Amino acid sequence: MKKTNSNPSYIAELDSLRGKIISRTGGWFPGKAVFCHGYSMLDELVGEKSYFQIVILNATGKMVDKRLADWIEAICGCLSWPDPRIWCNQIGALSGSARTSVVAATTMGCLASDSRAYGPFTLIDGVEFIQNALIKQKKGSEPADIIKEITDANRGKPYIVGYIRPIAKGDERIETMERLAVKLGFEEGEHLRLAYDIEELLLNQFDEGMNINGYMSAFLSDQGFTPREVYSIYSLMVASGVTACYLEALNRAPDSFLPLRCNDIDYQGQTARTVPN
Amino acid sequence: MDKMRRHDQVRSRNEKFTRRTATKIWEEKASEDNPYIPYAVNCHGYDLLDLVKKKSFVDVFYLLFRGELPTGDESELLEALMIGLINPGPRHTATRAAMNAGVGKTQPVHILPIGLSVLGGSHHGASVIDDSMRFLRKSKKLNARIYAEKMLENLDIDMNAKSRDESEFFNAESPGFGRYYGGVDIVSKNLVDLLLTLPGSGDALTWGAEVHTVTEEHGIGLLSTGIAAAVFADLGFQPRIGGSLFQLLRAPGIAAHGVEMANKHFTAMPFVGDEDYIVEKNE
Repeated sequence: MKKTNSNPSYIAELDSLRGKIISRTGGWFPGKAVFCHGYSMLDELVGEKSYFQIVILNATGKMVDKRLADWIEAICGCLSWPDPRIWCNQIGALSGSARTSVVAATTMGCLASDSRAYGPFTLIDGVEFIQNALIKQKKGSEPADIIKEITDANRGKPYIVGYIRPIAKGDERIETMERLAVKLGFEEGEHLRLAYDIEELLLNQFDEGMNINGYMSAFLSDQGFTPREVYSIYSLMVASGVTACYLEALNRAPDSFLPLRCNDIDYQGQTARTVPN
Repeated sequence: MDKMRRHDQVRSRNEKFTRRTATKIWEEKASEDNPYIPYAVNCHGYDLLDLVKKKSFVDVFYLLFRGELPTGDESELLEALMIGLINPGPRHTATRAAMNAGVGKTQPVHILPIGLSVLGGSHHGASVIDDSMRFLRKSKKLNARIYAEKMLENLDIDMNAKSRDESEFFNAESPGFGRYYGGVDIVSKNLVDLLLTLPGSGDALTWGAEVHTVTEEHGIGLLSTGIAAAVFADLGFQPRIGGSLFQLLRAPGIAAHGVEMANKHFTAMPFVGDEDYIVEKNE
């Protein structure tokens, strides 16, 4: 059989793109300029806008004001700490112990944070939750109804991304970011107000509060970002902590990061047996 | 902000973490004078050196993930799939990523992880495998012809409604099926036909091939992801390991092409000229 039963128009479309790059974002034209979403990078962005304004522009296509870029940058300090007990950071430490390159260590740590349990991927669910919750509220649901919908689907547990923090209850980072928001002159938006109302109910009913994901998801929803835009902006949010943990281990002896004796692994498998011929 | 809010006091949950990591796969027996150096290692109870002497790589590969040695038929089927999928080829996005890294003089040890990460995508990539395995395990009980006709009907409805693109439709409704560059993936289908002649082939692959027979005249069929998923399911692998297995099976070709480029000048791959680089103006 050699026939693929393909649609000829699809082949024609692919053919029209061979050897070409079509970009809505921009590009580098040697001797002319570098363009980024309609801006000349070297004339209008570098030195004129902050690095985070450019990061956000590349991640979303939106040029935000410096005040918002400063908030988005500042929260990165809440999202990446030099503690190798945290899963992604431990990859940095193990990489240092194994003497990989710093780029491999940091990149792999960021890749590890693409997780269903923590890190930037969870921001998609966090932002979707609060944006959908606000839509429901505007259609007449109370915050208690929104929580009940979740608990009914989860055998009574309030499993909401953005609330209930692993390892610890409560989240000291929120107050730090709230103070910065006040300092930068941000108003409390409708997503954030709803997020606080939900938190109050959860605290009363389940002794569980909002975590930094819930706070930033609501705040950034008020700034008009979509779930995918938030995920993109924060794709490397754990990088600096991973780098720090890599260097800590790199500067110590190989094998010395959490060394394991053979019997530190609890083997629970088959007892010894003979390989059949 | 309106006012400073009051939040929960930060408290540890005092979760009980295990003191020792457990595994059922690998046992390392400590030597007499150094507890960090094993004198022997067992894989699911079998001494590694005994496996080296008596078993093939494919047998031990199967053992590692399944916990038991394969039968001769199972081993033959897995080896045939491993050869069939050994190289996605130099036009595949994952291989191209590896080749770009190679020609760009990326450190050689990074070439394979780069290619494998790209292979992890959801368009004909490893991310589809676990869903495809679950889908095939469930669907193989259905009448393949009726299912295939319904699939085509639903695709039509979906495309007319323009609610999602075709790739999203297949990933959600029939993962492992679809179009390859707009048509049937002939090499993959020929691989299926060959695998079906082996005594170890099973229900999932047979069912997938039957669906393919109905859909191929519409340019739709089993993709490499679907074939891998069907064989993995028939061999009893768990869906969660499917994506990793797919990456392992396709790794040799990705590495070979990537490293092939590493010794070449960076002009050895095309660089699109400015005249063919078109920046679209946003509306």
